[in-house]
Amino acid sequence: MKCSQIRKMISPYMDNELAPDELKLFTSHIQECPACKEELEETQNMHQLFACAERFEAPFGFATRVMAHLEEIEEAGLFSRLWRLLTSRPLFLRTVEVAFALVIMLIGVMSGNMLVGDRMSGNVTSETQAAVRETFSLDLLQATPRDSIGGVYATLVEGADEK
Amino acid sequence: MAPFADDADLVKRFIDGSVSAFEELVRKYQDKVYNLCCYTLHDPDTAQDAAQEVFLKAYGRLKDFRGECALYSWLYRIAVNTCLDQKRKAHEVTDSMETTPSVEGIPSSEPSAERLYQSKETGRAIQAALQKLPDGLRAAIILKEMEGLSYEEIGDTLAISVGTVKSRISRAREELRRLLGGKDIG
Repeated sequence: MKCSQIRKMISPYMDNELAPDELKLFTSHIQECPACKEELEETQNMHQLFACAERFEAPFGFATRVMAHLEEIEEAGLFSRLWRLLTSRPLFLRTVEVAFALVIMLIGVMSGNMLVGDRMSGNVTSETQAAVRETFSLDLLQATPRDSIGGVYATLVEGADEK
Repeated sequence: MAPFADDADLVKRFIDGSVSAFEELVRKYQDKVYNLCCYTLHDPDTAQDAAQEVFLKAYGRLKDFRGECALYSWLYRIAVNTCLDQKRKAHEVTDSMETTPSVEGIPSSEPSAERLYQSKETGRAIQAALQKLPDGLRAAIILKEMEGLSYEEIGDTLAISVGTVKSRISRAREELRRLLGGKDIG
């Protein structure tokens, strides 16, 4: 067998990928041919370089960063899906939704105005005022100790009220 | 640290909706994927970005994994393709500004005091030499020499025939032998 053919067998030989008959031919040739033997040894040496080369480990916190990144992507995906859902609806439906939202806002504004209007015109009865006062009374809260900052503040406010 | 669950179990749990199964998968393969990216890209920051991208892609595609090949082969395939994309992008940006350090200077083997240094230096020299190989040869030889995959597994990973794997590894070894020639590890 020619040296060029044997040299093509060096790599499969190192990976135990030679058939038994090929292996027999290869080993007998290597024993007799110093040039092919030298090439085999050089290739084996190179293989050893790989074996003793540093294995790089993923940096500290790598997996945590990957999972955090995935979470961000998932959230962004959720928003974009919601946006697509909103923008993919027919124009008619979107118009109705906007009109409905405006009506709700208008009702809110009007009801607020009505309450303020009642107060201003003095239509609120004294019973209602008493009920509101009782509901929101500070007496429900724990008394503030006199020597605390809150207590000092309360004393000052009470003093001002009395004056 | 507790041993990792087997791949089939991790994939099943992930498909059933367990995000923690995917986190376990990342922890199980992060070093192998990162190592492969480092040797392919020859830059720790780019390798880290690439490795992260590998797992993000895997997350999106794992539901479609049918188990035709081993999970690590599937992950390596994503890693190899991601690294190729990264190299292409870098090539476009820098117009192939070669900054690979010299292959020279692998120290000869010393007693254990020099072991770590030697291992790092050897790693750097191999990284530098690998950058001079064509993409196809580089991927095949890394999977063979670094990850110890069989010809069939490399074929699965790179979607090429066993005959092509055999030929690429043989050519890669010849090239590396020339590039790293005369380096003795003792």
